[in-house]
Amino acid sequence: MIEVADLRKEYEGFVAVEGSTFSVSPGEVFGIVGPNGAGKTTTLKMLAGLVEPTDGTASVTGRDAGDVETRRDLGFVPEESPLYEEMTADGYLRFFADLYDVPRSVADERVASALDRLGLEHRGRRIGDMSKGMKRKVAIARALVNDPDVLIFDEPASGLDPLTTNRVVEFTRELGAEGRTVVFSAHNLYHVESVCDRVVVMDRGEIIARGSVEEVRAEHGTTEYHVYTTVELPEGEATANGRHRRTVTSMTAVESVREAARAAGGEVVDIRTHEPSLEEIFLEIAGETPTGTVQSGPDRDGAGPDGGPSRHDGDATAGPEEAARGDREAETPSEPSAVDGTGEP
Amino acid sequence: MTGPRFRPRKVLRIARWEVSRTAGTVDRRTLVVTAALVVVAALVGPAAVGGVALDDGIHRVGVSEDSPYRPVVEQHAELAAGPPTRSAYESGRVDVLVVDGEVVRPPRSDRTGRAAYDALRSAVEAFNDDLLGRAVDEGRADAEAAFPVDVRLRYERRTRAVGSVGSDGDGSGDGDTGTDGGSGGNGDGDGNDGDAGGSVGGGGAPLGVPALGGPGGGSTQGSPSSITPPFPFASLVLAFLFVVPMNFVIQSYGSTIMEERIDRRGELLLVSPVSPAEIVAGKTLPYPLALLSVSVAVAALVGGGPLSVAAVLPVALVFLAATFVGAMFARSFKELTFVTVAVSVSLTAYVFVPAIFTEISPIALISPLTVVVRDLQGTGVSAGEFAFSTGPFLLTALVLFALGAGVYREEDMFTQRPVHLKALDALAARVRSARGVALWSALFVPFVFVAELLVVALLFAVSASVSEALVLPLLVAAVATVEEVAKSAHVLAGFEAARFRRGLRTAVVVGVASGLGFFLGEKLTVVVQLVGLPDLAVGRAVAPEAASATPLVTLGLLLAPLALHTVTATIAAVGASRSRTAYLATLPVAVLVHWTYNLAVLGVVGGG
Repeated sequence: MIEVADLRKEYEGFVAVEGSTFSVSPGEVFGIVGPNGAGKTTTLKMLAGLVEPTDGTASVTGRDAGDVETRRDLGFVPEESPLYEEMTADGYLRFFADLYDVPRSVADERVASALDRLGLEHRGRRIGDMSKGMKRKVAIARALVNDPDVLIFDEPASGLDPLTTNRVVEFTRELGAEGRTVVFSAHNLYHVESVCDRVVVMDRGEIIARGSVEEVRAEHGTTEYHVYTTVELPEGEATANGRHRRTVTSMTAVESVREAARAAGGEVVDIRTHEPSLEEIFLEIAGETPTGTVQSGPDRDGAGPDGGPSRHDGDATAGPEEAARGDREAETPSEPSAVDGTGEP
Repeated sequence: MTGPRFRPRKVLRIARWEVSRTAGTVDRRTLVVTAALVVVAALVGPAAVGGVALDDGIHRVGVSEDSPYRPVVEQHAELAAGPPTRSAYESGRVDVLVVDGEVVRPPRSDRTGRAAYDALRSAVEAFNDDLLGRAVDEGRADAEAAFPVDVRLRYERRTRAVGSVGSDGDGSGDGDTGTDGGSGGNGDGDGNDGDAGGSVGGGGAPLGVPALGGPGGGSTQGSPSSITPPFPFASLVLAFLFVVPMNFVIQSYGSTIMEERIDRRGELLLVSPVSPAEIVAGKTLPYPLALLSVSVAVAALVGGGPLSVAAVLPVALVFLAATFVGAMFARSFKELTFVTVAVSVSLTAYVFVPAIFTEISPIALISPLTVVVRDLQGTGVSAGEFAFSTGPFLLTALVLFALGAGVYREEDMFTQRPVHLKALDALAARVRSARGVALWSALFVPFVFVAELLVVALLFAVSASVSEALVLPLLVAAVATVEEVAKSAHVLAGFEAARFRRGLRTAVVVGVASGLGFFLGEKLTVVVQLVGLPDLAVGRAVAPEAASATPLVTLGLLLAPLALHTVTATIAAVGASRSRTAYLATLPVAVLVHWTYNLAVLGVVGGG
């Protein structure tokens, strides 16, 4: 559906995208993640035909991305919602439907359907009088007036309140489930992780990792095992409830901890696994801490089972769905030998 | 990326949207005020030109049918005839009385009567002057009695040289030039021609600037007070009415283009299945249509015909095109304000000032407003004159629209680059091959001529305070600079935007292409001038001596400028191919070569 080969974009000596190559299959939800300046938006704009590549090729539905006709099968939602504020939402969407040669009756139906699904009311209101979230919904609805096979969403939930963000992310998931091909970029890696089938991680214009989230995690992430014991062990740390925690990265090491605990007259009371989030993987392979540029999911400030500081292992503030998705640490019984809920190490 | 597409249906849809959108931003109060202003302008405009005639028949004169004063009263609008009776005077039905061939002077206390008496006296004097003037025209023996003092004005050509303009100094100027047209025409004050007109200076005056007034036109005999200046004042003011609405419309047009660029608002239109050309055409279309409607209305109001409307339409297009380019380059609404004001002032001046000389010099035809003035006067223009007058405007508008549309894309229209870099971007968007370079070098020729005309006007104005020895070199230097910049700016843009591979060979190819294109464009312009205005001194000046020269000299005169343009364009292109700094170093070299060549040719052809 989308083929990108050796894509390069240079702005007067500044290389925004360098040698990007990837493909997106029909019906796939594909994520592009990275910090500000990574080249995500430039890549998406080259796919939408807005920006001409300096080198390389980008094709969408078998046609060159720069071809005007390619846009008939494409819906694009830019990072901001640059709408004509003096128009009403209805008038705005019908105007664009006309440009896509959508018959009036079909356009009315599509506009109404999209706005219903997005939960936008006051459709006769001037866009300038709408809130940012409402404008975002209008922009997304605009991308759907031509019933496109391919959707390109650049930070669709950027700057929105949590409720609207959830609606937009959920809507994106629905679009993927309908069989549309969606290319999705976000700062918020939790959104990408929760929506996308596959991702590429970009940094400074280059793709530095690719695959499904699981594949990326397997390739670049390291699973940690938190082993809780009743006795103090070397390299361990005390927890709030009087236990001691030792963190290791292999099952062999877990067994070593178990042996050590027994030798010290104690025992292992809990073992928990921690799979790295996309954000942690990104930070690891990007080799920097882009504070303020990459947001973690709503689980950012969650606490571990021992009440101590821990990232990505539960969210005390998120809703049930977010907490479930954000928690990568398996809930295990207090059985000493349980790892990952499987019962045995 | 694919090439530009143009589908009228899409254009019309965008145009319809533009109209409804713009209308949506105008509140009712603004509409009412605008409508009121239009009505006032419609009523006041013609009245201001023709006079409101409030004084028509204001003084009532009691005069009999057979009185010699009767024709005087009938010919002067402010006088009206009434019954020549004392009772009529005493009852106030007439203000002044003519009895037995004598005007009865009202008493000092009768202020109305005294005013009528003075008006009648003035009317009688004017009537007598007119009678005597006709005696001169008819060559009657008593003419000398009418005008015992005969003053004859004779204007001699000035020998002071300002240099030729309008060409590249390729040997086309005769070197003696310049300002001899200052006579303002060939009227000799002998009372023979009475009509306005005459040609500029002599054949050697490429750009004679006519003097204001003088015996070039208008009435040339009679009492001094009756000699009128040769300006078609009434027609000029009426013609100006066509230009006034353009100054308002470009404000709205500039804003709508700018709004597309603010907050990236036009981005979603760019990802729709419409090309930038269709977007620009659609957003622009309502404005020339509005101006066309207004022009038709103004024409109906002031008595102009289709010729007037056809002549002002290219002007309207240049107003819009210049505004479009300005709005594409401006970085804020504040800058846009400067742009629209500059467009208003410069274009209004450019079309209005030459039209002042409608009755003096054919050079006035560089402004389409001159065509309007002639249409209003009922004199009309030939097809060649019309093409000469409006063609450059149309071409200029198209070139400007093409340049602006070149940066109507995401990568350019939302950036905040300095204006000069935006201009380079606009040029770079149009040059992708040596052929494109040649084409745009040719298309810049009208701009070059306009710039050179401005230089000439400036030097003419300061020539009184500058040494004569300096004027010609300065003029030639200015001409050389303008032409070298025109030949190399888009080449530099092409290299800067990586349209061309940097290297000596590429530089030579695009340099030669640029020089060739400029040469061809220049010669084509000469042909157009000669076809359009065969009698115009400018036209003769650009290809003057060739006709009388030997074939070898003719060939040399033809090929020498070609060699010059290609060599100098290549010099600048070599610099451009290396860096912007190198270009700034090689451009003066190219100008110097051009300047030396021009002076040498002027020395051989003009001074020789």
